[in-house]
Amino acid sequence: MRNQHQRSMPKRRVYHCCLLLLAAAPLAAQKLPLGANPEGKRLLIIQSHHDDHTWEFGFGGFIARLTRSGYEAWYVRTTNDEKDSGIGWGRGDQINHKESVEATRHLGIKEVISLNWRNDHMDSVPMNEVRAHYILLIRKLRPDVLMTWNPWGHYDRNPDHRKVARAAGEAAWMAGLANVHPEHLAAGLKPHRVPYVYYSQRSDYGRGQVPNIAIELSAEDVRRKEAAFHAHQNVRRGSPKDAMDKASRETGEQHGVRYAEVFYFRDEWSHLPGLAPLLEESVVKR
Amino acid sequence: MRLLILLILTLAAQARTVLVVTADASDFLLAAGGTIASMTARGDTAILLRVTNDEKNSWDLSPDETARRNGLECAEAAKLLGIGKVVSLGYREGELGGVSPTELRDRIMFYIRLHKPDVLFLPNPHAEYVEVLDRHYAGLAAEEASHTAALRNHQPPFAQVGLETHVTRELYYYAQPFDPRRREPESTATFVPQPKVSDIGAMLDRKIRAALALKTINHAVAMRIRDRLESTGRRLPLLDTVNDASVAKLTEINVRTLAGTGAKGTGFQSAEEFHYAGPDFGVPSKFRK
Repeated sequence: MRNQHQRSMPKRRVYHCCLLLLAAAPLAAQKLPLGANPEGKRLLIIQSHHDDHTWEFGFGGFIARLTRSGYEAWYVRTTNDEKDSGIGWGRGDQINHKESVEATRHLGIKEVISLNWRNDHMDSVPMNEVRAHYILLIRKLRPDVLMTWNPWGHYDRNPDHRKVARAAGEAAWMAGLANVHPEHLAAGLKPHRVPYVYYSQRSDYGRGQVPNIAIELSAEDVRRKEAAFHAHQNVRRGSPKDAMDKASRETGEQHGVRYAEVFYFRDEWSHLPGLAPLLEESVVKR
Repeated sequence: MRLLILLILTLAAQARTVLVVTADASDFLLAAGGTIASMTARGDTAILLRVTNDEKNSWDLSPDETARRNGLECAEAAKLLGIGKVVSLGYREGELGGVSPTELRDRIMFYIRLHKPDVLFLPNPHAEYVEVLDRHYAGLAAEEASHTAALRNHQPPFAQVGLETHVTRELYYYAQPFDPRRREPESTATFVPQPKVSDIGAMLDRKIRAALALKTINHAVAMRIRDRLESTGRRLPLLDTVNDASVAKLTEINVRTLAGTGAKGTGFQSAEEFHYAGPDFGVPSKFRK
């Protein structure tokens, strides 16, 4: 039995390698569609930490592109980032917050809203509590576009990313139902579903996020993204000066443009798979 | 006459018990209604276990009134699919994230041991981009319950009231087609449910009739679409007037389009897609023969 198994191993390996190559080839060659700016004026970015949006897998360049086109943008920093530095909790939190404000300024973001949940402890925070915060903010700010972590990302070891992703993903649609937190209506807020949602996630994490859209960036968008990245000196000191330029250029090359970022995009009718074709074909302007 | 009696006895012997777990009133129907209807049409007995109370899914009704109407309409829809009994667990819609997963699992397990289903339909908790997380939580609990229902050391008090262990032989994981990778085999491992398509051509009209019974939810869907379009200076001619006829038409289009999506590439006209774990599930392939 063992000999038979051993004999078959090289053949099996070749077979599996071929399968892997066949599976990977279309992915490597596939260019994603280039996304246009969605219709709207208001952008909400919900992230776990001060710097999530500025990584190479983050939204930095796209945020710069939207604010350049006239969008107003708000940044929700869900945790207090107390663990993300080597200088102690309290001081690290203060510096991270200050640098977050500086980074978001480079991207044209209007305000940083800190919810200050405890950094890296969000696994033990009830999902519905976090979601309630987001629903209130969505109803207050009425964004056309939401950017957040992908609730279906795999292998993310950060508990804050996972919790924020799920809570924000649900808040985006639940904020549109009047019977969800009806107390908000008593305060004058109205239901509001976020029509366009972009998810980010490291796309090199196993079977995790497979992006479905590429966003072309201008050189100016990338310059601002680079500036935002380096504004987080508390955690990025010593990073290559062109880190974001290089990452955006590599992504751009894969998708036939100079600079790009890639995301998973949910359109305004993605939640209605049985009606999306009708709506895409038959909706007309008033 | 003898032949007829023999036929009836044979059919009765083959009739199965089907337990359908759903997070809400519409999900099981839109994702699996045709397949369930075809099972009840051949003589299977079906029971619906509805986990939440659907209190939030209306356009302009209070939570109490929404829950009341959706409960009645869900029962009517289930009846039209041939489901003989509906059990509501009564959790608040949208709040399953705050419910103890073990409590939910054990309540579903109770019904598995009580009804001893041959077939279990459950929301696929592994399907991606299903934004209603109640479906994820209900699916996880049902999946786990199908496992623990077979293990004697889970909930020993159940045995005190005569609820013995039970193995469910067939599992249909269902989800509406949100997941772009839903047809990819998940793995070559033995213990992974695989994609399965069910032809619902003969049951499509019945499924549409059942979907039409969900009047409160259908009306809310239509109003939300119209509201979104109006707020962005657009219109859908079908919804210029939202009334029973236009809502019914929208609902019918929804069901027909979903059936067409399920059938794409299969050779069927109308179908539903599942991940399926049959009687062989759990038996390593080398031992199956």
